This record gives sequence, C-alpha cells and structure tokens, in this order.
Amino acid sequence: MSLNDPQWGRRGGGGGGGNQGPPDLDELWRNFNQRLATIFGRRGGGGAGAEPPSFRQLGGGVGLLVALVLVVWLASGFYIVDASSRGLVLTFGKYSQTTEPGLRWRLPYPVQSHEVINISQVRTIEVGYRNNVKSKVLREALTLTNDENIVDIQFAVQYALKDPEDFLFNVRRPDETVMQVAETAFREIVGKSTMDFVLYEGRQAIAARAEELMQNILDRYQTGVLISKVTMQNAQPPEQVQAAFDDAVKANQDLERFKNEGQAYYNDVVPKARGTASRLTEEANGYRQRVIAYAEGEASRFRQILVEYNKAPAVTRERMYLETVQQIMSSTSKVMIDAKSGGNLLFLPLDKIMQMSAAGAAEAMASAKPSPTDVPTPETSGRSRESLRARDRESRQ
Amino acid sequence: MRTGLGAIIGALLVAAVLASLALFTVDQRENAIVFQLGEIKEVITEPGLRTKWPLIQNVRYFDKRILTIDDPDTERFVTSEKKNLLVDAFVKWRIADVGQYYISVTGDEARARSRLTQIVNSVLREEIGKRSVQEVVSTEREKIMQDVRDKVIEDAKPLGVQIVDVRLKRVELPADVSEAVYRRMEAERRAVASQLRSQGAGEAEKIRAEADKDREIIVAEAYRDAQRVKGDGDARAAAIYAKAFSENPEFYSFYRSLEAYRASFRSRSDVLVLEPGSDFFKYLKSPGGGRAAGSGR
Repeated sequence: MSLNDPQWGRRGGGGGGGNQGPPDLDELWRNFNQRLATIFGRRGGGGAGAEPPSFRQLGGGVGLLVALVLVVWLASGFYIVDASSRGLVLTFGKYSQTTEPGLRWRLPYPVQSHEVINISQVRTIEVGYRNNVKSKVLREALTLTNDENIVDIQFAVQYALKDPEDFLFNVRRPDETVMQVAETAFREIVGKSTMDFVLYEGRQAIAARAEELMQNILDRYQTGVLISKVTMQNAQPPEQVQAAFDDAVKANQDLERFKNEGQAYYNDVVPKARGTASRLTEEANGYRQRVIAYAEGEASRFRQILVEYNKAPAVTRERMYLETVQQIMSSTSKVMIDAKSGGNLLFLPLDKIMQMSAAGAAEAMASAKPSPTDVPTPETSGRSRESLRARDRESRQ
Repeated sequence: MRTGLGAIIGALLVAAVLASLALFTVDQRENAIVFQLGEIKEVITEPGLRTKWPLIQNVRYFDKRILTIDDPDTERFVTSEKKNLLVDAFVKWRIADVGQYYISVTGDEARARSRLTQIVNSVLREEIGKRSVQEVVSTEREKIMQDVRDKVIEDAKPLGVQIVDVRLKRVELPADVSEAVYRRMEAERRAVASQLRSQGAGEAEKIRAEADKDREIIVAEAYRDAQRVKGDGDARAAAIYAKAFSENPEFYSFYRSLEAYRASFRSRSDVLVLEPGSDFFKYLKSPGGGRAAGSGR
C-alpha cells in the first residue's frame, strides 16, 4: 500500500490548483460512482471533453484527503512506554520485539500492534484477607495442619515480572494464577507442618518454603513472574478456640510466676537462716568466753581464799560459816520453834507471813545481786546449772 | 488520465476487499483452524500473517495459553477411613491439539471445562479414596497431585488437551467435623495449660522445699558448731575449776556450800522454820554453848 504513496504525491502535485478545503463526502462518492461507470462502461471519449475540469478539482481534493488519512494512519503508530514499563510489539500477531521506555513508533494497524506492560511495579496479592488483616476471608484463611488442627493464616505475596513476554503470552490471567499458586503452595507447606510450628517458631521458615514452592510452580507454568516476598501477616488459632489458646499462654506466665514466687520464698528464708546460724555461732563463742572467764575468776577467788584458809583453817571456817548464816538469816523471814518444848499443836499462819513479806519481796529482788550463774537465756542458764553441777561432782571427788 | 485514476482506486478497493477476505493474522497467544466448507483444512500453530481462500474458507481461533479451571466450590470426597474431606483443586491446561480439540468438544471451551472437571474429579475421588485424611492433608499431598496429573494427562488426550498441572488448593474438613476439631484443640490447650500450671506449682514447691531444707541445714550446722564451741568452753572451764578446786577438795565443798546457801535463801519470801537446837543457835540458848554439841555443820 505504501507503494501508492509516491504515486499519489505526484498526482497531487500535478493537479496543483485543488485548494478548495475539505471536499464534501457525498460529492466525492457521486464522482467516484461516475468514474466507475466510465471505466466499466468503456464508452470511448464521448463525454470526456466535458469532464476534465471537475476531475482536476476532484483529483486535488482526494489527494489531500488521502495524504491526511495517511498521516493520521502513520501517526497512529506512535505510543509511549513509561519508565517502569516495556513495550511489546507484535507484527501480524507474532511477537517481534520488546521496546525500551520512551516515545516509540511501530507500523500502524493492521501490520503491527503493541502492548505496554508494567514490569517494575511490585504487585501484591493478599490471601486470607482483603486490604486489612482484620477483614478476614475465612474460606481462604482456615488451613488444616499436619496434626489435623486448624489454623487461621493471613499472608501476602509480592511479585514482579521477570519476563514480560512470558507474562503476556503464556498464561491467561496470570495474576489470578499467582493467587491460585500462592494458595496451593501455602496450604501444602502448612499441611506438612504441625500447628505449633506454624503458630510459633516456624513462621519465617514456612513463608520461605512457600515462596520457593510458588516460584517453582510459576516457573513451570512459565508465567514470567518473580516472587519477591512472601510475608505471613498473621497466624493464629481460629476464633472458636482463641480463648483456650490465650489461657495456655497465660498458664505459661503462671508457671513463671509460681517459680518466681518459690524463688522469692527461698530468697526470704535462706538468708534469714544464715542470720540465725551466725547468731548461734556468735552466741556460742560468747558463751565459751564467758564460761571460761567465770571459771578463771572463780578459780582465782577460791585460790586466794584457800591461801588464807590454809594459814588458819578452823577460824576461817567458823567465820565463813557464821557470816553466811548471818547473811541468810538477815535477809529471810524466819520462824523459830522449839520442837522439843512440847507436843502442842502449833499453828503457823504461813500464808499471812508470805503476804506480809510479799511487800518486801520486790525490794529484795531488786537488791538481790546477780549470782554468777545468772545468764540471759533460759537455755544457757540451764546449761550453766548443769555445768555447775558437774563442777560440784568433780570437786567432791 | 481520468480512467487511470479510477482504475487505481478501483484496483485498490478490490485489493483491500480481497486482502480482508484472503489474509488473516494469527496472534502470538492463539492457534487457528482454517475450515473449508466445514472441513478442517489446516491447523495453524505459528503466529503471523496467513492466507486463505476467500468465502469458501473460514478461520476459528483458539487460545494457546495455559488456561485454568478453578471451581470456587469445594468438592466432597471420602477418604480410605470413610471420612469426608472437602477438597478444592485447580487444573492448569492448554489446548495442545487444536484439531482434536475441535472435534471432541466442537471448540467450545465451556464444554471442554466441564469434561475436564469430570475427569479430574473422578480421578481425584479415586486417589483420595485410597488414602487417609492424614495422607491427603500432609504426607502424600504431592503424590496425589502427581498421580492425578499423570492419569488425567492420559484421559485428557482424546480432548486434544494437555494437562499442565493439577493442584490441590483447599483441603478441609466438613463444618461439623471442624467443630469437633475445635473442641479437641480446645481440650488439648486446656490440658497444656493445666499441665503448665501444675508444673509451675510443682517447681515452686520444689524451690520452697529446697529453701526449707537449706534453712534446716544451715541452722542445724550452726547449732552443731555452736554446741561444739560451747562444749569446748565448758570443758575448758571445768578443767580450770578442777585444777583450782582439787587443791583442797574438802574446803571447796564447804566454800561452795556456803555460797549455795547464800544464793538459795536471800529473799524475804523465803521462810525458814528453825529449831533452836542447831549449831548456829548454840550460844542463843546458853553462853556456854558447848554442851549442846551437835554436828550442825
């Protein structure tokens, strides 16, 4: 068709004077019919003499029109490829080339056509939810695990195109395919894992494995898609059992709390016991020092008296005896009875005497000097009494 | 000149009409069949510009890409242990043999889909029926998909269809069974929770017991050491006393007794009932005193 181009050009140039603006289409058509009639009629040059001027006019108009149409037709081959995109050109339906971003031109319809496809845009599909993790799609979210439990999973897949040609020509509705593949891969991976793995420690691993499987499948279909990221948005037990799961988590906390309480008890009791222990030790040390010191004191006193006693035993003895009895008599209440003087019934109002002396008792107690064996605690005083007895025994031997 | 122009226009028009009747393009994404009066004349699998006889030949196009059958509804299957399982699968297929495809389903994609769905479902039913729930869900999932794919590939050949893949998507339990699963999960969690709590209580008790034990040990050991120290003190004191008192045991006895008497009677509340016959009172009765000799002391 482009061969006609120069020919028409020459005709238009030769005609020259046909600048009458846009010609009327009806008129064109009429003229065209006349021309056809002339051609097919083959009526020699009969009417030819009358026609030429109108033909010249017509020729000029058509030429201009055709040139205009041609320009518009050729201009329809321009297209713009965005920076994030690639253009794919098809020649008679067959893929011929991929064009870089910029203003591009291809042969106009029906020779070539083009498709512009965005390759750098990251596309996202959401499985188990739409837009917001809270707006769940339970049909997609609930997944059976290896141990026949059900988990509620939301995940998102981000992907880009690695091969626009494959993406465009190999699969019908490639975006839907990615969604299907995402679901099948994720469910397969989750189906092979236990619930605890899915819910807790295995999230990363599952997303990674699913990503790998998805890429494998998509490559097998030659979708030209590159999975860039699979993220598990949420994985939790289904709502129906949420309370029980929360309780289990709480139980874990309780476990820790109980242990801490136990530890607190330990931390309370043991240091106190250590305190008690050191008190016992110190008391014992004190006791030892005291007992020894007393012993030394008493021994020394005894020896000193003994020296004097040895000089005059009888007198000293008598003096000591009398002094002692005097001391006793003077500080106690006493009743003297001459039992031999008669067998009369004797009435002693002991309780009266006690009462009377009670007043003086406090005084006497206060004035009483602590005996050497007086000790602060009952236990040690018992001890000391014991030891005194032991001393007695020894001395008697 | 007039005739020349007319001829050219006419020729162009005729050429255009002929071209539109005789030329056709096959897209990259399509296959085409050229029919001649209803009979398949040519199958075109390469894209590009093609020719045909005008009027007596016509062309139909078929998608060459991978197509999908993805029924949104899950199908109910029975496993080997007679349990129901809802399974949702999708099939990836493409028209491989266009002629065959046209003959078997008259090129109608909807018919092809329904035939394929039937084939896949029956094979799936067979494969799932051979396996337990556990196997379908987990262990043999891949195997099922592979087996189904292999079988369906054969079954789909007469349709002129190539099965690219059959994949299980959702595998789930029927609603009532799901409910039972939820109950079981709940019970399991409760068991875990109470186990954790008793474990906590147990460990706490253990720590407490250890604390008590440590306390007992610490106190007892301290007591033991204290007693040793005290005993040592007592022993040394006893030695000191013994050494001093053994210098004159008789005097010691006297001396110590006096001390004891003093310590015993020193309060007004102590009442002594005395007989004047004792040594102490010997001079109280008579200044001679000697007669009344008794061994008071």
